[in-house]
Amino acid sequence: MQKYIWLVPLLPLIGAAINGLLGRKLRFSEKLIGGIAVGSVALSFLISLTAVYSYGFGGHPEWPKPYVTSQDGFSFNWIPGGAVSINHGAEARREAESQKQVEEKLAAMTPEERSQTHSILTATVDSPRYALLNIEWSYQLDPLSSIFMLIVTGVGLCIFVFATGYMHGEAGFYRFFAYMGLFMFAMLVLVMGSNFVMMFVGWEGVGLCSYLLIGYYFDRQEAANASRKAFITNRVGDFGFALAIFGVIATFGSAQYTDVFQQAKSFPIELIGHWGVLSWIALGLFIGACGKSAQLPLHVWLPDAMAGPTPVSALIHAATMVTAGLYMVTRTNVIFQHAQTMLLVVALVGAATAIFAATIGITQNDIKKVLAYSTVSQLGFMFMACGVGAFAIAIFHVMTHAFFKALMFLGAGSVIHGMHHEQDMRRMGGLKKYMPYTYWTFMAGWLAICGIIPFSGFWSKDEILWKSASMTYIPLGWLVWLIGTIAATCTAFYMTRLMAMTFWGKEKFLEGAGGEADEAHASAYDKGLAAHDAVQPSAGDRPRHEPGEHVGPVHEDAAHHVATHGHGEGHHGAHIPHESPPSMWVPLAVLALLAVIGGFVGIGPAFRSVTGSEHPGGRLNISTWLNPIIWNPETREFNSAEGAHEAAPAETAHGEAPATAEGAHGGGSGYGDVGFNIAHSVESSTHSELATEWIFIIISLVVAGIGMLLGGLFYVWRPELPNIWAQRLRPLYNASYNKYWVDEFYGLVVTRRTMDASRGVYAFDSKLVDGIVNGLAWLSRQFSRVVGGVDKYFVDGLVNTIAAFIVRLMSPLFRAAQTGLTQNYALVMVLGLMLAVAAFFAKDVAGAVQSILGSLRPN
Amino acid sequence: MLNLFSPTLVLLLQEAERSRIAQMLDQMRQAAVAPDLSKFLVIGALLFIIGVAGVLTRRNIIVIFMSIELILNAANLNFIAFSRYLQQIGSPNALAGQIFTVFVIVVAAAEAAIGLGIVIALYRNKETIWVDEIDLLKW
Repeated sequence: MQKYIWLVPLLPLIGAAINGLLGRKLRFSEKLIGGIAVGSVALSFLISLTAVYSYGFGGHPEWPKPYVTSQDGFSFNWIPGGAVSINHGAEARREAESQKQVEEKLAAMTPEERSQTHSILTATVDSPRYALLNIEWSYQLDPLSSIFMLIVTGVGLCIFVFATGYMHGEAGFYRFFAYMGLFMFAMLVLVMGSNFVMMFVGWEGVGLCSYLLIGYYFDRQEAANASRKAFITNRVGDFGFALAIFGVIATFGSAQYTDVFQQAKSFPIELIGHWGVLSWIALGLFIGACGKSAQLPLHVWLPDAMAGPTPVSALIHAATMVTAGLYMVTRTNVIFQHAQTMLLVVALVGAATAIFAATIGITQNDIKKVLAYSTVSQLGFMFMACGVGAFAIAIFHVMTHAFFKALMFLGAGSVIHGMHHEQDMRRMGGLKKYMPYTYWTFMAGWLAICGIIPFSGFWSKDEILWKSASMTYIPLGWLVWLIGTIAATCTAFYMTRLMAMTFWGKEKFLEGAGGEADEAHASAYDKGLAAHDAVQPSAGDRPRHEPGEHVGPVHEDAAHHVATHGHGEGHHGAHIPHESPPSMWVPLAVLALLAVIGGFVGIGPAFRSVTGSEHPGGRLNISTWLNPIIWNPETREFNSAEGAHEAAPAETAHGEAPATAEGAHGGGSGYGDVGFNIAHSVESSTHSELATEWIFIIISLVVAGIGMLLGGLFYVWRPELPNIWAQRLRPLYNASYNKYWVDEFYGLVVTRRTMDASRGVYAFDSKLVDGIVNGLAWLSRQFSRVVGGVDKYFVDGLVNTIAAFIVRLMSPLFRAAQTGLTQNYALVMVLGLMLAVAAFFAKDVAGAVQSILGSLRPN
Repeated sequence: MLNLFSPTLVLLLQEAERSRIAQMLDQMRQAAVAPDLSKFLVIGALLFIIGVAGVLTRRNIIVIFMSIELILNAANLNFIAFSRYLQQIGSPNALAGQIFTVFVIVVAAAEAAIGLGIVIALYRNKETIWVDEIDLLKW
């Protein structure tokens, strides 16, 4: 079955092409469009499922080596590149090599010889290597891409089904599903491609689809701005990524993952303080990852991206596309693990993003904004895991996060749908009575993201925190752990707040505009909006602009809204929310199930007394499953396939966690001494690894509980508290509410300065360059005026005189020749023919005449 | 002119005097029974010249048509003659000339049909078939 994985990206593309090219022209019904889109994704999912099953569990001969479709000929030579020179090591390596050779020669000589030959001593250096660069279009099936295939198609399928219900009645139904299908194609190319260039194609493809889908309501200024912002911010990251790809090709002479990683294995590890070629590549890759996965300097686009339809937010901006950065970092873990500085940077950026976004999430009032900041924060967690070297756990969190965050976004979509396009949580409340399915499924997501024990989020988040405390790949692991723990508390708090404001408490939509105490500190814009809403009778169907959002002038045209949000026309009067149709809550239920049980594939070593194994489940355990693609800096090889079950040496046998825990004791992790490690400090006092792990598990459970209790306290039991505390912590509250003014900062420092620079360049262009050009134009105009005069009066006069003379002379002749009688013309033709014949045969005729005459002459 | 022809007459007289008339007659008879290629070519050329002269000199358009037919038939005669000649020397491709002749006849028939149609149309408009009164090509 794995032969046919090339169909997996192709099918959604075909579906998208049918919907996009024909959907409008042939006026497809919504059922047909939805059927095509969902059907193609469902087929892809089935193919992925069978392919992954037969690859991993069906005794596939390739396991655990990557299976590339070119082995079976399902590929083509996409970019025939030809020979490239590989300058890896570059100048420095050459210098060092020649230096060494000279020294060796010197050492081998006697002192006398040395004094004689020193000046003429030369060294031979390898000429630059060459490689044949051919970039093929083939798909790769390996543990990492299988997980992403299943996430993308599986979660994607749920979201597609949901979208058929959510997008019902939208004007551009076909357009929506065409973009979504295109997105699936691009995302699958990204995760299934077998080389960096294909990943880049997918990378740009998902960026494009993200742009198109954020700007789906392109008639709304806010959405159009958000889509541009996303696109431009991603360009920054893509620039780094592209440079990194060039670096990879220049260094390794190939873009194929298998080739590159085989070569990269033998490079020396660049510890902190050393900055070599792999660090540069890793830096470029990480800049790309920052852009796509919304990490700290480049995170600004993701919250704004919520202007797109909610299924888009769920699929692209929570479950799949934003995890592309994680995919890339994990895919290139060999390179990252060779650059310790970059590991540290990844971990710190991840931690900073986690806490930064989590604190913003606390004060946001738009339900989708809260989830967006939550997503940014969770992505930060994943990068933390990558940074400390726990790549498998990062992917584990990608997976669980895909489940519960897609669930929560879809739940939010269901709420918005049920509330007739109301997104402000201050106008919700008490919805559990009206939307039971949505409520209970959302509850599962809430418990999962908070990290309560049997739910999926617990397993991955706890593992991340434990790994950051215990891994010894980088220094400052304790700081990462501390920040992560605080961020986890914040997560639990704002998620509880979201639950409380949305589903519990008073039904505020019955009271009309107004609402929670937060309103009191809203910005001037927000106040204006509130006043406006009070005038408008239907608060439910207003455009989705958020308080404090600088969206520019918004057109409040009622007819326009009805046109954009097609449904809800009939039931404007009734503000009572309603439960969503089955096409929406069934996917919710499926995702809720996954959010509850999804974590069991990654039960960590701490539970070995319960489960009887470090990584229970064999290959079904995500750590074991991902082992073959993770490079181990101790053995300097990729991990063995069945790590946990083989009786290999103690350092490598248990996958990562124990390996590093024990390796650190021996100091053999390949990264040198990294200083204080909190887990080891605890362990040295408890003298038991198991107890240490449990201490950290309990800490993470306790902080989750604290967060939830605080949330309950603030928003359920004592609803007046938020107001009081917001007043007390006014500066902090404002900073968080205004997202730390990052947008304003960028606006001032980047956008304004770019505009200034553009204006300067424009002034230069319009004044100086155009001035020169215009001056030259004026000069040449004057000159041509003179030339024109000369030409007109002198040259033309001359020509005309001569021409007139000739015409007068010749015209009677020519006029007479043209009689119009066919016979005359024919006569001329015959005469001409005779002339031609005469000229041609003149010699023969003369000869013949002569011979006749000669024969006639009497001899 | 007289200078040119007088030696011929002298020659002919001399031949007669040498009583080779019988020999000549024999040759002529032989030539009549199995004429060689050049004779056909000469007749073809004559036909062609007559045709061209007709086209160039006659005023009646119908006669011009007939002259054109003469030209075509001159060509046909050449084809047939060469075909026969090639047959005599045993060339494998001897039939080509005859086939061409058939083609030419067909084309001539078609041309005559169209041409006569044109003539009728012309007559209806101009009420004449004298070509020197038709000088439309001037315009």
